[in-house]
Amino acid sequence: MTGPHYPDVVQWAVPFFILAILLELGWIVIKRRGGRYETRDALTSLIMGAGNVAVGIALGFVAWWFFMALWRITPLDLGTSWWVVALCFVLDDLRYYWVHRFGHRIRWVWASHVNHHSSQHYNLTTALRQTWTGMFTFMIIVRAPLILLGFHPAMVLFCGGLNLIYQFWIHTEAIGKLPRWFEAIMNTPSHHRVHHGRNPRYLDANYAGVFIIWDKMFGTFVPELPEEKVQYGLVKNLGTFNPIRVAFHEWVGIFRDLLRPGLSLRQRLMYAVAPPGWSHDGSRDTSETIKRKHLEKTPQDRGTPGFDRY
Amino acid sequence: MPLSALLLMVTGGIAAIAILLHILGMSRPRIFADDTEIAAVWRNEYPDTNLQSVNLSRNRHFALVQSSAGLGVVWAMGADGAARLLLGAEVSDIPGGLELSLPDYTAPEIRLKLDPDEIDSWRSKMEASL
Repeated sequence: MTGPHYPDVVQWAVPFFILAILLELGWIVIKRRGGRYETRDALTSLIMGAGNVAVGIALGFVAWWFFMALWRITPLDLGTSWWVVALCFVLDDLRYYWVHRFGHRIRWVWASHVNHHSSQHYNLTTALRQTWTGMFTFMIIVRAPLILLGFHPAMVLFCGGLNLIYQFWIHTEAIGKLPRWFEAIMNTPSHHRVHHGRNPRYLDANYAGVFIIWDKMFGTFVPELPEEKVQYGLVKNLGTFNPIRVAFHEWVGIFRDLLRPGLSLRQRLMYAVAPPGWSHDGSRDTSETIKRKHLEKTPQDRGTPGFDRY
Repeated sequence: MPLSALLLMVTGGIAAIAILLHILGMSRPRIFADDTEIAAVWRNEYPDTNLQSVNLSRNRHFALVQSSAGLGVVWAMGADGAARLLLGAEVSDIPGGLELSLPDYTAPEIRLKLDPDEIDSWRSKMEASL
C-alpha cells in the first residue's frame, strides 16, 4: 500500500473498552447509582460489538477499494500535516452527523442502526452494541466528498475510528452534566442520553458524534431535562436477546413489508426509504405522529424542547 | 494488532464481564411489584390501547393482560419488561409453564413459568381468546 499509514485505533482501544466497562460496573456496584447492568443485555451488546469488528475485518476491503478508487481519480491531495488531520476529523464528524441523521430518518439505514438503540439499558456496553449490516446501507458513499477533496482514505478511516472511540465514553449514566463550556461544544453523556431516549420529547434528537454544535446548527438539539428522565430503548422494545434477531429484525421487517400483496411500487419503495414507522395505511406511528399524539394528551408541552416544531 | 491477540482479548473480555455480572447477581429477572408496573410496561408498547385487567403471576415475572386491543402478556425481559399482544399466538405446554409462539421476529417465543393452577387458568383464557 502506498500513502500514509495510521493504526486501526478501534482495535487498539479494545483493552480500554474492557477496562472502562469494569470501572463503570465497579462504580455502579459500590455507589449504588450511576446506571444499571444486566447480564444478558450486556452480553448481547458485547457480542454485537465483536460481530461489528469481525464484519469490519471481513468486509473492510470493500470500503477500502471504493475509497482508493476515488483517491485515484481526485486531483487533490491535502497531504498529512497535523492541521489536515484535524480538519479531516471535524469534517468527518459533520459526515457522521448526517449519516447518523439518515440512520434515524431513512428506514433502510435505520435497519442497520436500530440495534444500537435496542437495549433498555444505557451503559458502556451499549456503546459497543454496533451494527453488523452497515455495509448494506451504502452510507460509505457519504465519505466520498472527503476523499475527493484530498483527504487520504487512510486518514479518513483513522478519523472515523477516533470518532467512534470518542463516542464510547458518552454512553453512561455515571456522569451527569459536565462544565457548561464543554456541554456547549462537545457531545456529552447528557446529550447522548437524550439521543437514546424513547420518550416522545427525545425522539430524533442529538445526532452528533463528537461536536454537539452540528445539532445546534441544524435544529435537532434537545437538552436533557431534569424533570423528564430518559427512558431507553425502542418505541417498541425487542422481546429477545438473540444477537441474530437484534442484528436483522428491521431488515426482516422491511422485506416482509416490501413483499406484502396489493401495494403499489411507490408504496413498496416508501417502506424501504421513508422514516421508520411509515405505513401505507397510516396504521403505524412515525416519530412525528408519536410527538403529535403526545401533545394531544399533554398540550402544555407544546413549544418546549423536543416539541418546538409542533 | 495480531488477529489472534484481538480474538483472545475480545472473547476473554466478553466472558469475564458476563461471568462477573452473573456473580454480582445481575442475571435475576425483574420482579414486578404490582399491577401499576405491569401497566407502565404495557403503555410503553401499546400507548393507544386501554388496559382493562391485569393478572400478575405468583412469581411476579409475568402478567396476562386484557386490553382494548385484545389479550396480551407482559414479561420480565431481563431487568426490564416487554409486552406483546397475543394475535396469532400458539400456546403449548412446557415443563413448569407455557410457551407462546408468536408470528413476531422480535419476540418469537415467550416462556412463562407458572404454578400448576395458573397454567390451566392462563391456558384456558388464552385458548378462549385466540
